[in-house]
Amino acid sequence: MNSSLSPDAQPVVSVQNLTVVRGNSVAVDSVSFRIFPGTHTAIIGPNGAGKSTLIQTILGLIPASSGEIIVLGRNGRRLGKLASAVGYIPQSFPFDRHFPLTVSELVSLATGKLGFWGIGKSVRQKRQAVQQALKQVNLQDRGKQRIGTLSGGELKRVLLAYCLVVPRRLLVLDEALAGVDATGEADFAELLGKLKQRHGWTILEVSHNLPLVSRYCDRVLCLNQQLLYQGSPKDTLTPENLLQIYGSRVNPYCYHHEPTRLDRYF
Amino acid sequence: MSLPDWIGIFSLPFMQRAIIGGVLFGILGGLLGSFLILRRLSLFGETVGHAAILGVVLAALWQLPATWALIGFTVCFGLGVVYLIERTNLGSDTILCIALSGSVAVGTIGLTFLRGYRGNLLSILFGDILAIGNTDLILLLLLLVITLIGLLLSLPDQILLTLNTDLAKVQGVPVQGYRYLFIILLSIAIALAIRAVGILLVNSFLVIPAATARLVFGQFIPFLIASTGIGIVSAVTGMIVSGIFDLPSGPSIVLIQLLGFLGSAVWKSIS
Repeated sequence: MNSSLSPDAQPVVSVQNLTVVRGNSVAVDSVSFRIFPGTHTAIIGPNGAGKSTLIQTILGLIPASSGEIIVLGRNGRRLGKLASAVGYIPQSFPFDRHFPLTVSELVSLATGKLGFWGIGKSVRQKRQAVQQALKQVNLQDRGKQRIGTLSGGELKRVLLAYCLVVPRRLLVLDEALAGVDATGEADFAELLGKLKQRHGWTILEVSHNLPLVSRYCDRVLCLNQQLLYQGSPKDTLTPENLLQIYGSRVNPYCYHHEPTRLDRYF
Repeated sequence: MSLPDWIGIFSLPFMQRAIIGGVLFGILGGLLGSFLILRRLSLFGETVGHAAILGVVLAALWQLPATWALIGFTVCFGLGVVYLIERTNLGSDTILCIALSGSVAVGTIGLTFLRGYRGNLLSILFGDILAIGNTDLILLLLLLVITLIGLLLSLPDQILLTLNTDLAKVQGVPVQGYRYLFIILLSIAIALAIRAVGILLVNSFLVIPAATARLVFGQFIPFLIASTGIGIVSAVTGMIVSGIFDLPSGPSIVLIQLLGFLGSAVWKSIS
């Protein structure tokens, strides 16, 4: 509902001259950008371009070497209680496949220390919230299933349900659909688009799927250590730009928001 | 043995202390052990348990109160090992192996300097739950209360950080603080349990009930409750078996835990 792209709006994420050095190499070099409320921004670039490093630095998982990161108006590493307003779906979610935890239990972890024990909200309200979240990702009948028995795509939808249980302002996805088949990826992207509209999320994601990026995102950040281009998919995902970013011809297979422009790329 | 004999045995103060101690160890072991096995720290428990021999030797050499000295040693040792794991690029199993071998070697050499202490070696190795004193029980109860409050109040955070550290960090869970708190609680529990089951068997209190529960349960809360229940039942049953057949108490408890584990494994594979 919330698509406030007004220039006066306070950015949800503001990155200024961010540099991240990992080992002896510069992974992210003097990157600056801002992400405004209600937008869906994709970070694209070849493998090793620093996309995941950038995302993880914004989330405080990797220390920045220099520069400034402001998330939800606060220093990115000291979000405090605002941390619950940030949802995160990582690239890989390694865990013990025999971990004794069901889908419902995992989703209910998002209700926090008090909510988990039914304090503040009753246990019944918590169960309803969890069931509602699972319903939104079409997994309402999987609540009692152990998480280790889920497929990769189902697990990502469970993590999306985890993000739905409490109000989020920012959703960060780091190649969330790596390893998921093309149909599953398209279904997830469509579901994400619907939920974004319904909940007014601001989304920042790393993606390799240029057709989906051009179809669902408002903004694209083209990264290869440095930020090479930023703007709308129409302006950034041009064959010339993609050639420079990836070093070879990449077919953007763009849908864009205006289908009439498709022929420009074929 | 007749009923009055049984009543007579269980009315003895040392036996009552042992039963209470067994129940408290069972709860503590089940709770901590559940997270221990899921965080793949079983070898850590084994290492701290075995390294305690060095703590016993140091306490005897410097004539320090045994319980307090052992608690201090296991906590410092546990934190030191975690620090080394985090600050080196070696695998955690490698560091744990080095710490285990090194501390047992130094402890065994230290034993040679203690005249007249070797007679107690057997009780250090295998423990004696019947020798538990009131101070041990109070400390155990205190540790259990702290563990219950600490772990259960933060249970969603504890589960999340056990499942996926990155997600927990993003959600604002103080991952590092909780990790160190867990290591401290674990080290104190091991120090207190050594008197009951000895250095060689102390880790079984933590690992076997939780492993048995994990074989059977796929939900977290039932798993946690079952792990604790198995810890209590095996401790009490082990002591009764040890009384009936005049067997050492610590190994009897571990034997009951082992039988429970094997029974669950067979039942699980059949079902």
